[in-house]
Amino acid sequence: MSDEPTGFLYPFIEREELDLAGLMTDLTTSAQAKIRESHGLQTATLDRCAADLDRAGRAMAERFERGGRLFTFGNGGSATDAARTADLFRHPPYGRPLPASSLVEDQAVLTALANDVGFELVFSRQLIARAQDGDIALGLSTSGGSVNLLRAFAEAQRRGVLTVGLAGYQGGAMASSGDVEHCFVVRSDSVHRIQESQAALVFALWRTVEWHLGERSDA
Amino acid sequence: MSPRAPGDLSLPGVDVDALASLAEPIAAAAVTLARRFAAGATMWCVAPRWPAHGRHVAVEFVHPVIMGKRALPAVHLDDEDVVGSLRLLGHAGDILLAVGTADDDRLATLLPRSQAWGLASVWIGGGPHPAPGVADHVLWIDGASPEELGASAGFVLLYHLLWELTHVVFEHPGLVEPAPDCTEEVCVTCSDEGRLAEVVRMVDDDSALVLADGHRETVATQLVDTVGPGDLLLVHAGTAIAVVQRGSA
Repeated sequence: MSDEPTGFLYPFIEREELDLAGLMTDLTTSAQAKIRESHGLQTATLDRCAADLDRAGRAMAERFERGGRLFTFGNGGSATDAARTADLFRHPPYGRPLPASSLVEDQAVLTALANDVGFELVFSRQLIARAQDGDIALGLSTSGGSVNLLRAFAEAQRRGVLTVGLAGYQGGAMASSGDVEHCFVVRSDSVHRIQESQAALVFALWRTVEWHLGERSDA
Repeated sequence: MSPRAPGDLSLPGVDVDALASLAEPIAAAAVTLARRFAAGATMWCVAPRWPAHGRHVAVEFVHPVIMGKRALPAVHLDDEDVVGSLRLLGHAGDILLAVGTADDDRLATLLPRSQAWGLASVWIGGGPHPAPGVADHVLWIDGASPEELGASAGFVLLYHLLWELTHVVFEHPGLVEPAPDCTEEVCVTCSDEGRLAEVVRMVDDDSALVLADGHRETVATQLVDTVGPGDLLLVHAGTAIAVVQRGSA
């Protein structure tokens, strides 16, 4: 850049700066609106689902009490949310650590199943190998239509495994399949806002499970 | 902490007004991300306590949920020796996105070094704040325990917004141009303040070859105790004035 005091010859510099300030204002306004939208959706979803959260939490606590284990699964970002769900139950910030594992962690198992039998079976085949009567299967999908989740829920039902599903939009096939005993639907059409509210639902569900387990051990 | 009543479904750490105050820092971070990506950066995602958050950020950028948005190079790094790995893998101009607490030793070591390597950094976390200036953009949620934040929607919302806003910035190509590099022999901007530099090797007893802002240069080391490869130095006007961290080489 020249050191001449001739900034007026480079009007684009100032214009860009002004535009950047304008963009920053737009971005900030947009982020604020999204934060409030996300918070409002999380609150509304928890309110609407409160009764079923308690039912599902009680049913899960009963299973854990009898030695049941939790298996979690999902695809993409929901796979990471499934992993965090298992982590939350197994390494909780407080309360009783519970046996939980995610079916998305082992790349040997995932690639073997995907390569040999197809990706729609990557979770159901793991349930066949690991799940027993009295266990719990929890799957997260934003669309509610992921075929590998639907296959896993159907397999879980055949094996006496309690099924808990989290979906978005209108719930998709998960809400109507009959294989998902407790289906929580985040009514939004934004994948991001759905995932945020699903995270809030998982946290509330975990807290409810811990509460019911605490009541049982106190009794 | 103890379990709350079943009826208490309040969202951990989500004072919505406090969260909304993060909108401007998120916007500033998104501008940095868009500019760096446009210049060819890779974003390295590191979340030692919550690797799933690191994976979630990476998949968000690599495989956008909205059709038609460009795929961006983001890589989750899950490694015992994350400092050594990123030193090898990262290039000057890249981005480090960290999710974690300020008391995480791996992040406390990694973040300042990433400055010496020439990486722009964004640190998402909760609990006690990190030291000022340790990351270019600090997005911190106050008012809840990090464990609750890590397990709930807090951090997820922040990196979702980073992705959404980065793509908004891309819609303004004129603003994606990076700020001009400092190319002067003596830079007024740089020489006025201390910079972090990592020792590559000693040149002689009184000087060391270091990496600062991703560039190699030689600095005088008479003013500090004996230094060696991997030490992180504070450098002012071509002279090391303090040892910030001992070697991680």
